[in-house]
Amino acid sequence: MRRKDYLQNPVEHMKITAPLTVDQLMRQFKNSGSFGAGRVSAACDVYEKMLRDKECTVFFALSGALVPAGMRKLVADLIRSRLVDVVVSTGASMVHDAIEAVGGRHYKGSWLDDDYELYKYHIFRIYDVLVPEEGFVRLDYRLAEVYNQIADERKGESLSSREFAWELGKRLDDPNSILRSAYEMDVPVFMPAVRDSEFGFIHWLHSSQLDRKNVLNVDAFKEVPEICGICSRSPKNGMIVLGGGVPRNTVQSAALASKKGLDYAVVVTMDRPETGGLSGSTLKETVSWGKVKGEADSVMVIGDALVIFPLMAASVLERLGAEFKRAPFLKQVKQGKK
Amino acid sequence: MKNSKETTRYCGNCDSHNSYEYPNKVFCSTRYAQNKKPIVETLWCCSDWNLVSQECYCVKEALKEKKLQARQR
Repeated sequence: MRRKDYLQNPVEHMKITAPLTVDQLMRQFKNSGSFGAGRVSAACDVYEKMLRDKECTVFFALSGALVPAGMRKLVADLIRSRLVDVVVSTGASMVHDAIEAVGGRHYKGSWLDDDYELYKYHIFRIYDVLVPEEGFVRLDYRLAEVYNQIADERKGESLSSREFAWELGKRLDDPNSILRSAYEMDVPVFMPAVRDSEFGFIHWLHSSQLDRKNVLNVDAFKEVPEICGICSRSPKNGMIVLGGGVPRNTVQSAALASKKGLDYAVVVTMDRPETGGLSGSTLKETVSWGKVKGEADSVMVIGDALVIFPLMAASVLERLGAEFKRAPFLKQVKQGKK
Repeated sequence: MKNSKETTRYCGNCDSHNSYEYPNKVFCSTRYAQNKKPIVETLWCCSDWNLVSQECYCVKEALKEKKLQARQR
């Protein structure tokens, strides 16, 4: 590159006036184009492009404790608005969704709370969010019965985590639930590490029952062709990753296995790349695996997803406008319109 | 931690208990596995009792509530 090529885009200073909408703020961030502000505004652009691209399937990879911290309804609303096509989640995020679906709540606490006292009161702490044990126990009790029902209906047949999530969503009647919204909107929810959550311990409870004839089987490998098939059938694929971990790798690996690579990628994380762990790996590094295309529209935002993602969603919703209607590509294929 | 000989036996200090309706009712995983009604009073006890390894406030608070209710009557 020549010297002058480096000096094409001067930093425009932010102008903050009241009133200011979220998208107007994001556009001021874009004028700056620097540090976190530049990355968040770029993430809004990439998400908007994904949604406007009629051939793109949007994968939403969810990890960390965002659901107990207050992002549950936002995710459910995005599913209902068809602004997310496939959810790939930790089991724990869906456990916390289900806790609220059966009447439990999460509470505001403090990271300075006395943890030994919390233990004695049967209260669990997730940084500054508190969950009373009753939330889990009532879920255990209710879902152990649901597992019994599913096992009796399926009689030894193995379910993928997607089918398992669908069965759960069918039986939850809370419209604000992620699982319920996904069930109603026919949005697949994959939980590749489902056993590493309360769902696994509920299985233990269900299968430990005396004289239980049918035991629920969830086959971890059954979902591989399902998710790869989605990637493969869709002309383009994009991902929004909040956190990282198994959900991020599941989406990226499906994109690799279907020999496509992702066309769009947004990762919001606090993790670092230096350890070699996947959650903090840069999207540049991901290109070397073929999981994200070299020419993909992609950005990694280093920040708290609980702050960043609601801003992104608000900005993009504002850009799309109330009249915007999205028909996901795979739905159209299913309905014979493509 | 007191040993089991010194402790009055309650569901609320048994290792099978989890909070169900704090502090008065607990969920018993052992009873669930035996197809028995798993939700029991914190101050109840059965022959499968086993001392919990790390004490909680369930028994203390359930006793306090029991006392309070008795006084209100």
